Amino acid sequence: MDCCGGIDEHEDDCTDVKVKDSIDAGTVEAAKRLQSENYSAGFSTDIEMDMAPKGLSEDTIRFISAKKNEPEWLLEWRLAAYKRWLTMEEPTWAMVRYPKINYQDYYYYAAPKTGAKYESIDDVPKEILETYEKLGIPLREAEVLLGVEGAAETAATARETPRVAVDAVFDSVSVATTFRKELEKAGVIFMSISEAVHEYPDLVKKYLGTVVPQSDNFFATLNSAVFSDGTFVYVPKGVRCPMELSTYFRMNAENTGQFERTLIVCDEGAYVSYLEGCTAPMRDENQLHAAVVELVALEDAEIKYSTVQNWWPGDEDGKGGIYNFVTKRGDCRGDRSKISWTQVETGSAVTWKYPSCILRGDDSVGEFYSIAVTNGRQQADTGTKMIHLGKRTRSRIISKGISAGKSNNTYRGLVSVNKKADKARNFTQCDSLLIGDRCGAHTVPYVENRRADAQLEHEATTTKLSDDQLFYVRQRGIGEEEAVALLVNGFVREVLQELPMEFAVEAQSLLKVSLEGSVG
Amino acid sequence: MTTALRALISNPNTAELELIARYGMQPEDPRRERLFQAFAQTGLPTRRMEAWKWTDFKAALGALDRPGSQSACDPLASDEALCFRFSPDGFEYPKDLPEGIHLFVKPEPQALGSAEDVPLGALAAALAGSKTRPGTLMIEVTATDLPRLHFAFGGEGEASFARVTIVVRPGAELTVSESYLGGAGFLSSVFEYSLQGDAKMNRTVYQRGADKETMAATALVQLEGESEYTQTSLAFGAKLARLETRLVHKEADAKATMNAAYLVGKGLHADITTHVRHGAQSCVTRQMTKGAVLDGGTGVFQGKFHVPRTAGQYTDADMQHKALLLEEGAVVFAKPELEIYADDVECAHGNTCGALDGDQLFYMRQRGIPERTARALLTEAFIAEALETAGDLKDILRHEASNWLAQS
Repeated sequence: MDCCGGIDEHEDDCTDVKVKDSIDAGTVEAAKRLQSENYSAGFSTDIEMDMAPKGLSEDTIRFISAKKNEPEWLLEWRLAAYKRWLTMEEPTWAMVRYPKINYQDYYYYAAPKTGAKYESIDDVPKEILETYEKLGIPLREAEVLLGVEGAAETAATARETPRVAVDAVFDSVSVATTFRKELEKAGVIFMSISEAVHEYPDLVKKYLGTVVPQSDNFFATLNSAVFSDGTFVYVPKGVRCPMELSTYFRMNAENTGQFERTLIVCDEGAYVSYLEGCTAPMRDENQLHAAVVELVALEDAEIKYSTVQNWWPGDEDGKGGIYNFVTKRGDCRGDRSKISWTQVETGSAVTWKYPSCILRGDDSVGEFYSIAVTNGRQQADTGTKMIHLGKRTRSRIISKGISAGKSNNTYRGLVSVNKKADKARNFTQCDSLLIGDRCGAHTVPYVENRRADAQLEHEATTTKLSDDQLFYVRQRGIGEEEAVALLVNGFVREVLQELPMEFAVEAQSLLKVSLEGSVG
Repeated sequence: MTTALRALISNPNTAELELIARYGMQPEDPRRERLFQAFAQTGLPTRRMEAWKWTDFKAALGALDRPGSQSACDPLASDEALCFRFSPDGFEYPKDLPEGIHLFVKPEPQALGSAEDVPLGALAAALAGSKTRPGTLMIEVTATDLPRLHFAFGGEGEASFARVTIVVRPGAELTVSESYLGGAGFLSSVFEYSLQGDAKMNRTVYQRGADKETMAATALVQLEGESEYTQTSLAFGAKLARLETRLVHKEADAKATMNAAYLVGKGLHADITTHVRHGAQSCVTRQMTKGAVLDGGTGVFQGKFHVPRTAGQYTDADMQHKALLLEEGAVVFAKPELEIYADDVECAHGNTCGALDGDQLFYMRQRGIPERTARALLTEAFIAEALETAGDLKDILRHEASNWLAQS
């Protein structure tokens, strides 16, 4: 088999998986519930689609750009990326293995023929309505989600806080963005990036590609060439975004790739919390998802970015599933800014994803909290990069990997401290758990330190870091294990409870997992 | 053949062309050809190769030149040890060996397992032989209570290569030491150690070098039966110095302890790389690496535990790396890696990087100890833990570390 990637011990026989006794039964049960046979979002929607011709060429890019009626500069930008992409090689260093991808075998644009915006609920194609119903979103919420004019206000008044504004991306286009009017009152811009290109070209031009440049890596460059839709958020100076923002990505059409591009800019002193969810139908072919997410936090700004990634993982034998090659990066551009990534990764056949923070501003803070669960034949190579450039920058990495079935789960992370990053601080903790004897768990932490006064700790000194906190919690009569769980999981728990969509249930079940019996 | 090799190495630099020429001057031998091809597949390792991303030989070694620096004194040399001395042009070895040590000096190269994984080891094995030096030095050990075997690499010259294979038979015990003392512009050695059932070995490696020298010492270790292997390394770095150990637990219940310390000054680079494969059940690995780096120095630690499915069950492995950046301008790179396919195992790894503890320094200074001395004392205490396993050579290594700290 012509393959990319490099795992040398893939499981090919059909032996049953044995789980050792010391693994918590609740954990095993929780992991089982995430198996592909229980995948509830795996249906497909039969709706007439407008597709680009199959394959990738300059013409495809011109087609996408024309569909979106884009300005000339953006087309040029895309074409430059495409030219660059042709000279690049697909990375093979990750611990994932998959058959060589034929990039000409995908559709790079697919949109419902009926268009993207609806005047009345009666105009909404029944199929799309049903899709959201099936995904477990209540009808009223679905009305909101579908952006039926007037529904936003109704729903807004009907619902108690906290409310969540949603941008729904269906294959290659954003079909609806809710609560826009209310957000506008606060000065927050929340819309699909295709709309933003027309309505706020200066802002888009100013920030697009400044965090993840066109030539960043193979998949990001591909995205720059063919990105179809995604979300644009701008929170102006001093504004605390009045509600959670969220994008729901749904891949539906066969043989398509989804290439969304999200750009979030938080101006000085602003705050936003953003959630992202993804699902896709069960299909036998592998589908491609290569997204780019760029975050910019200016002085004193804070961005909280949470992901629940539940793309179709393929069936038990590894047939089908999404190839999830994502570049996510946040730039703490201003002093005292903060970017925090939280991810719950349960889906995708192959995951290649490293949400990162560039800690440029002095005293800026980066955080990465991750739970990655792999089942069946899934492969995940995920982690983060914390690039300390500014003075007194701090970062924290908490990663939990759980492998079950015949899957492989890799944590790969970089902590880099630049010469000018006085007194930088990092704490990393990554635990892996193997459920059964046919899976793999791997840890690849990179540390590059160029500052003598930096303090970097990886795992070994867990107790040293949290001694005081641990002591405080324990003296209240809480057992050590529970105390650690409380301190480490506290944040994750909080975020998961806030998740607005159907996957909240699945994500919540992850909270039951215990890492007792972890291997390293 | 040499033309073909030149084509195999992409954009060969002067050093690579000179290595190809050296190979061309050797007598033809299919084993040598395979070894050199294993090297030529990658050429001198570059940062583009994951295992060499922080130690780029191709960039550091432009050409094979005499560095103009002298070899350091050898603190591990002793009348009680059996000394094997390698220099770029020569080789001396003891003619009278005690019973239990059998020496075979082979002019030709021998095949090297996993040559593709160790390009510089393959190169050493291909080019070790000359009129004055053996292609392969083979030693068989069959007894206990033997004098230490000491291998010293010194003398000035452009390049020095050596290949040594040591087999320790069941129940036998051996103490071995290697000193890399600089003087050659480029040195590459490859040692193979094979420990059979119940065998024991204690290996000490000492490395010193100057800022125009590059060196790589590669050790391939195989543990069988319930053998026990202990390794202690002390590296002071060179323009590039890499001490690499690739160890395989081949049979159940083997034990390995691998400690190392690096002390790196201005313009120097020390790389401690280990790769441990737990290829049999219930094997134990303990690994502690400590480092201290001054302004303009670079310390690298790369460790990997690979635990295969089923075979690696009940592994108990622990890897720790702790580094001190003594001054601004010091650089430390680390990658403590785990690759685990067996579920009932304990694999821990830890990594810390930072400066000396300000409180401890303050405490010592208020007792009237000058800051410089206080720093040296604290650093020495920090490093010492990793040198504990060197048996009788422990004090010598500590003394060397303490001298270095006193002078820096």
